[in-house]
Amino acid sequence: MATHVHTHSPASPSERLLEPVWAQVMDITNEAEGISTYWLKFTDPAVEAAYTFEPGQFNMVYLPGYGEAAISISSNPADPTLVGHTIRFVGNVTRAISRLKVGDVVGIRGPFGSYWPMKEMEGHDVIIACGGIGLPPLRPAIYHIMNNRDKFGKVYLLYGARTPKDLLYPTEFEEWERAGIQVQVTVDRADEDWQGQVGVVPMLFYRFRMDAPNSVVLTCGPEIMIRFVVYEGLARRVPAEQIYVSLERNMKCGQGSCGHCQLGPYFICKDGPVFRFDTLQPYFNVEEF
Amino acid sequence: MDPLDELKLELQKIPWFRDLQIKHLDLIAGISQLRDVKAGEVLFREGDRAEYIYIVLSGRIALDMAVPPRGKMRFHTADPWEVIGWSSATPVVHQRTASATAVVDTHLAMIDSTKLRELCDQDHDLGYLVMRRLANIVASRLMSSRLQLLDMFAEPENKNAK
Repeated sequence: MATHVHTHSPASPSERLLEPVWAQVMDITNEAEGISTYWLKFTDPAVEAAYTFEPGQFNMVYLPGYGEAAISISSNPADPTLVGHTIRFVGNVTRAISRLKVGDVVGIRGPFGSYWPMKEMEGHDVIIACGGIGLPPLRPAIYHIMNNRDKFGKVYLLYGARTPKDLLYPTEFEEWERAGIQVQVTVDRADEDWQGQVGVVPMLFYRFRMDAPNSVVLTCGPEIMIRFVVYEGLARRVPAEQIYVSLERNMKCGQGSCGHCQLGPYFICKDGPVFRFDTLQPYFNVEEF
Repeated sequence: MDPLDELKLELQKIPWFRDLQIKHLDLIAGISQLRDVKAGEVLFREGDRAEYIYIVLSGRIALDMAVPPRGKMRFHTADPWEVIGWSSATPVVHQRTASATAVVDTHLAMIDSTKLRELCDQDHDLGYLVMRRLANIVASRLMSSRLQLLDMFAEPENKNAK
């Protein structure tokens, strides 16, 4: 797909939030049916040199003629010269992205949003509980932990998908295990050839003994899964202020102006996507929200 | 080691057995056996008489249901300390409603269901502990089944999706 490239490229971080900068698709990894990772490199070396992001943040990915979509960053924060976006093709913009080829160009605004509290988590055990497309926003946190493994206690990844073929990044699990992350993978349904676990993500909390007061839980995935992960964490007496959730809700402007992603008093795009659970607790089980 | 001592040692490793008094552990050990199944070996089949409750000590057991014409569908796996065949401890279930197969070499404790019910009838303190544990198992399985039924990873219909 051919895309026009503007000559002006805003390099300062504040400008980058308002006007897209351009990035070329360097590689595309097919992760599962309808999900691919796009590896992007900024066309302007000054932008590339200035660009950094925190685990859990997202970019607005812009395709001229189609619009923008908020996509979490799924790559290693220690190497922001190649920015990965794992994208599920579900709407007008993302389906257009699915037709991109290596060498095509997209617009990027960002990075936006709050992030996983990597610094505050140091010295704690970490439980990363996620499902489906909820793993990509947590992969940068996994990489950060691997890059700084001695700063964290025990680390568990509890990951689930609908079926074995829907699992993302399965070829990386061994490397994560070697880095001292205990990886528990489950699927909701399988045939008899599947040798792994079958069951839902919250049930993986039964697979290990937790030092609850010293544990931090990070979770992302379908909201119903998040709700039950939080129940399991709270049931084991993990303090609510040590549980962090990342939410995804129809983000549009990325600046808290349009209200499309509002949850109670919060705008997911501006105040989130990562929230400490105790701040969300009053709105969490309210049907209207 | 004496087989009964070995059995008691294995049972004491099970977290919820640590709540049992010694006399109750002895009673349960008296109606239990250890069993090993090789990877791929069928522990029981759908329709078999439900005679034992199993507790996985090591390994993994898969529960499958035959769903014509889709074939065998795997809906649950049990890892260490999980109980399978729990419904045989109830007075109404007499046959297996799913098949159980070892995914890897698996070591199990098996408890005679009928005798366990009799022990629970005779000693209500033991009966309360056993039924309380079974209630926990039923609750967690119910929650798991409910979430599987919701198909929470299915692509949501979202007209605003980008």
